[in-house]
Amino acid sequence: MLLPFIQKAPVKQKARGLHRGFQSMPRIPTKFFGEVDYMPESVFCFPDGLPGFEEEKEFLFLNVPESEPVLFLQSISMRNLCFVLVPILTLVPDFRIVLTPQESQVLELPGERAPIIGKDVLCGALVCADSKESLCANLMAPVVVNLWNRLGIQAIHPESGYSHRHPVAFAEHALAC
Amino acid sequence: MLVIWRKAGESIVLGDNIDVEVLEMRPHRVKLGIVAPESISISRKETKLTRAKNVTAAMSMDTGLIENLLSRLSSYRRHN
Repeated sequence: MLLPFIQKAPVKQKARGLHRGFQSMPRIPTKFFGEVDYMPESVFCFPDGLPGFEEEKEFLFLNVPESEPVLFLQSISMRNLCFVLVPILTLVPDFRIVLTPQESQVLELPGERAPIIGKDVLCGALVCADSKESLCANLMAPVVVNLWNRLGIQAIHPESGYSHRHPVAFAEHALAC
Repeated sequence: MLVIWRKAGESIVLGDNIDVEVLEMRPHRVKLGIVAPESISISRKETKLTRAKNVTAAMSMDTGLIENLLSRLSSYRRHN
């Protein structure tokens, strides 16, 4: 599925040329991609922040073609805060997300059915390095964003049985995000 | 581990001033009411774990590790 509001992280020099004359477009320094211009309508809002970073509520999803399907969740106000995410279906093709009524309410999703990953929501696992050789994804607490209104949460579900230290190895048939 | 049976409406006391009451029991979960001083931080255990994981995730990923991640991805691409 196309995600038109996922911000492409432009190469710095290209970005200057590309956006020359559009001075009204806000620009932020990022952790991995230098300065990035973005459309205000590309901003994702996490009303409760993320645990550990509760004050950071506005983020951009950045991606670069070379890093497909990996996404970067860059804080608008804190340059050094940028999470690395892997779309969860890339890791677990049959992953099913079940949200609590409270979580559905924050995302403004209808609570009566489970959201469809890739259609209703983007669901990504945060990647964490335990050591140089060990990259793990947190499947117990995926980041879930409503694709239609760009509201996001981190849905912590220990009862799901998914690991918070899932080794990063890509499944054979990757699907949409 | 200390194990104590309680019914709905009954409490346990931790230290001098923390009171944990079982408010309601359902088949798969219980509702607890906690009275504690402001200085005591109270979190669900999984939230505390997630907080620690998030901080590690934010601090640990650098460009080298992203290249490592992408190389795993490119080997995945080669196999497919």
